[in-house]
Amino acid sequence: MDAVEKANAERQKRWAKDQKVGEGTYAVVYRGREAVNQRKVAIKKIKVGQFKDGLDMSAIREVKYLRELHHQNIIELLDVFSSKTNLNLVLEFLDSDLEMIIKDRTLVFLPADIKSWMAMTFRGLEFCHRNFVLHRDLKPNNLLIASDGQLKIADFGLARDFADPGYKMTCQVITRWYRPPELLYGSRYYSTAVDVWSVGCIFAELMLRTPYLPGETDMDQLKTIFRALGTPTEEDWPGHTKLPDYVPVGQFPRTPLRDLFTAATADALNLLGKCLIYEPRKRISARDALHHPYFFALPYPSHPSKLPKVSTQTPSRPLEEVDGNVDMNASGPGVKAAAPNRLKRKLTSPGDELSGRPLARRLDFTQKRV
Amino acid sequence: MIAGNTSKDSAEADNSPVKKKNPLYEASTQYRNWRYSPERLEAVRTQLNAAAVAKIRNTFEADEPGSSANVAFLSASEEHLLVKLYVSKIPQLCGHFHFPEEVEATAITYLKRFYLKNTVMDWHPKNVMLTTLFLATKTTNNPISLEAYTSNIPKTSASDVLDLEFLVAQSLGFEFAVWHAHRALWGIWLDLQSLTDLPEDLRPQDIYEIALKHVRASRFTDAELIYTPSQIALTCLSIASPLLSQRWAASKTASSSISEPLSELLKDTLGAINAMVTQNGHPPDIESVREVDRRLKLCKNPEKVVGSKAYLARIAEEERLSERKRNKKAEDVRRALGEGADPFGSDLSDKEQAKRLAELDDDD
Amino acid sequence: MSNRANVGGWLQGKTIRKGGVVSTNTHSGRSSTPQVQSTSTTVFGGGVKDVSGRTSEYFSMDDQCPVCKSDRYLNPKLRLLVSSCYHKMCESCIDRLFTLGPAPCPICQKVLRKLAFTPQTFEDLTVEKEVAVRRRIAKEFNKRREDFLDLRGYNDYLEEVEDITFNLINDIDVAQTEERIQAHKKENASLIEKNIQRDEQYAQALREQEEADRQEREQRALEARREEELQREEREKDRREIIDRLETSNTDAAKVIAKSRAEANKRSSARTTVDSVLKSNAQLLRSRAARSTTIPDVPHIPLQDDWYAYEDAYVLMNSYEDPYSEAVRKDRDGIMRAGGYRVDQAWERAVRSAVMGLDLLPLTEQGSFSNSCPADIVMAPV
Repeated sequence: MDAVEKANAERQKRWAKDQKVGEGTYAVVYRGREAVNQRKVAIKKIKVGQFKDGLDMSAIREVKYLRELHHQNIIELLDVFSSKTNLNLVLEFLDSDLEMIIKDRTLVFLPADIKSWMAMTFRGLEFCHRNFVLHRDLKPNNLLIASDGQLKIADFGLARDFADPGYKMTCQVITRWYRPPELLYGSRYYSTAVDVWSVGCIFAELMLRTPYLPGETDMDQLKTIFRALGTPTEEDWPGHTKLPDYVPVGQFPRTPLRDLFTAATADALNLLGKCLIYEPRKRISARDALHHPYFFALPYPSHPSKLPKVSTQTPSRPLEEVDGNVDMNASGPGVKAAAPNRLKRKLTSPGDELSGRPLARRLDFTQKRV
Repeated sequence: MIAGNTSKDSAEADNSPVKKKNPLYEASTQYRNWRYSPERLEAVRTQLNAAAVAKIRNTFEADEPGSSANVAFLSASEEHLLVKLYVSKIPQLCGHFHFPEEVEATAITYLKRFYLKNTVMDWHPKNVMLTTLFLATKTTNNPISLEAYTSNIPKTSASDVLDLEFLVAQSLGFEFAVWHAHRALWGIWLDLQSLTDLPEDLRPQDIYEIALKHVRASRFTDAELIYTPSQIALTCLSIASPLLSQRWAASKTASSSISEPLSELLKDTLGAINAMVTQNGHPPDIESVREVDRRLKLCKNPEKVVGSKAYLARIAEEERLSERKRNKKAEDVRRALGEGADPFGSDLSDKEQAKRLAELDDDD
Repeated sequence: MSNRANVGGWLQGKTIRKGGVVSTNTHSGRSSTPQVQSTSTTVFGGGVKDVSGRTSEYFSMDDQCPVCKSDRYLNPKLRLLVSSCYHKMCESCIDRLFTLGPAPCPICQKVLRKLAFTPQTFEDLTVEKEVAVRRRIAKEFNKRREDFLDLRGYNDYLEEVEDITFNLINDIDVAQTEERIQAHKKENASLIEKNIQRDEQYAQALREQEEADRQEREQRALEARREEELQREEREKDRREIIDRLETSNTDAAKVIAKSRAEANKRSSARTTVDSVLKSNAQLLRSRAARSTTIPDVPHIPLQDDWYAYEDAYVLMNSYEDPYSEAVRKDRDGIMRAGGYRVDQAWERAVRSAVMGLDLLPLTEQGSFSNSCPADIVMAPV
């Protein structure tokens, strides 16, 4: 046996695969255990060898960045091994995500809870940016929650390094409701500000308990944004009319955030406003956000262990049921071990699911990215 | 939300107690898994070569006793020579495709790393080189379609590139991120502008170009497996302009709390890199490589030569093993289904069955 | 205290349950229909507060001021307050008698101050008094079951507390009883303090809970408003579409309308969200309150990781001469600027690369570094 194969076989032996818990177009997720200590893990098996261009870009991105980034608020990649021509990512086991928590109507959020989640999200994001990595797909269901309450940024299938000067990036990134206007206008040269916009939308969603800017199409997304925040002027956002896909979508007046977020403190609204500034260069950075007065004001952020959690823990269920409810809407290989829980919500509240977000989930991975 | 207008000034608790922080470079896989001492590098290659020779010899003997006696197997340094030749092909291809510097440097790193886990007697560097370059276009976010890639390289099919892709990725430990010296050189060049006593006319642009040439030359060497990108970049600058590199180094201090000035600390390191780059920073002599390549045809692992007897035998054996595994799984499931009829055992077997089904689904 | 039962009538037929700490503050068994007002806008503090700190004030149509005899019939705004000697009088009498300083109670002559009047919670002032006494005692005798070694010790303690309470309510041996209280206070100062803190944390959690509930109500109202607006927009859109279709197509008008209706119905049924389950929050609330007493929240610390990013090893300039980024910096068409691309981030990455690992000496064979790269050993061929 080759040295490489031998090393791989040893890695493989460290992990035991249990039942399948979810499936997407690019990956199957299993629950698993570490052989020596029975620690729970999630094993994401990425199907390789079915793509005409070889190893799939999102798998490459996910592995590339998770291999390097080690942070409390970023999902931990414990190991990688291959089984025949499958790539297996061993990830720390996280049983819920922020979307599930937002949607669980039996949970009550305190202002301190929202502050705590925001701080953890910004910490994870700041670390990505400190490592010159753009995430490009932040949304509540990519923010996973560990059993101790820690929030972890997951799904690096769309991540990339900062571009060198003059190199184009694709604008077909970030799930629509969390996508900033510069991407909707087709900008191919952008920066860390795109992720900050997404976090702003998540912040608003935590306060509203419903998506803040739910556009139905890309065009409608711009309209939805402008309806909420006013149509930008040349002064608000210099040069935006020159962006490749610029189209005027109507004039909407700017309404104060206060009108919608009646319960928020002035500090909270100030930070939210800074995340949602049209001019990307003026948008607050993740690092500055962490130093914003909102986080230092009372109440203190909730200790992670006290944050609301999804109460119903679904035990392992027969495989057929999972198979019948494959989540084809998850973006890329971003299926997580949470699938059974999501399934449960589907069964109990179909209306919720229909009016919910799947519309915005689908990203076109067949497109060539430069 | 509960009004909170207090403690706006209590910020900046950032640098909490004097906890020793770890430099970010030490989180990288490059630092953790691809950093060798010169001796270790040598040992890895020697061991790898010896193991390969022993194995191939066995295969030959199994096929026809006594047949390995006259085979002149490659030595570790001969293997290395061949790899080096194919390192030199990558810049040529990159120029052809107009790939960015990042792709070129990454592909070369992958190729070198691959041969720290594999031997050329198993995998010929020609194909591995094509694969590492294709993989590098993807990992650095400059992907092109396989079709566009292969159609621009003579006598290359899609399978020449893809067949080895997984093996390459696996050999790299799926560690795709690489820090390069050319970026560090760019950074030094920018940072030189912070030195107020160093006016523009003392740092002409062509010095940068010369230093960059040396960085490219360093890719033929083992420097990146031993030293850090910034050290390589600084050395390359010092070859182009000792003055500039000294001035810049003098403006930096070693963070490792040693009172020793940085230039003193790095003296040996820079000297060693300098020797490497100036002595070995070039493609190998074509004639000597041709000789190695000729001998390789005679001593390569027959199991890896598509169509050979040994290759077919290995494939057949693998097929047989996986067939047996599949049968066993199917049998397990059938048995589990049978047990499911037992009214007292249903609970357990349901779970068992689910597990087995999961395993069956697993096509490995 | 064997004669306690004979003091009958002091508590309107209610009996003391031995061993129970507080047996009364319910409103049950009243003849008239009292109303309870919530108020906090008075200079008169005190009164009986509920756990989350609100005061309920007793108020009845039969109220009459014993001093000036004005009643609710004549003066609907009549508000009666209770003195520290448990006599009622109306706000205007209090103003009249005590604004100029302490003065004797018109009923029992005890010297009173204006601020010593409190709102009335209970119809019966003996109840008022008992509750006040019990409240005071509960504060000072706040030991819990877990503070005692055995149940017997706890029961003895409760007995003593009841004894003291009884004395105070009925003005028996007041001076001596006060001494007992002081002695207990001195003996158990730290434990009392600790238990007060525990109680406060619980109360704090309750307040937070209420705040969260209020917010949720607000948000739900907001959602409803949004929903309504959305529906209105959709109806409007449908109407326009029907007109458009009728104008442009040859299909039978009735069919077009029926089709649109069906679509609209489908949408609205999809939208009928399963309404928020307003489960009783009591359980959740208790568990959260319990947790809040064990793990305290701490002030925000912006960055908590242990990674050093060489920030002190370079100072970025505002701009550099840099052939690589020249085109971007000029950006004649303005497309990179509006998109938010930042050359300085690329520069920072380069400059960081320049200093990263600069002082890291190469590994040597003398094993000293071998521990720092275990993965290498795993990966290395054997």
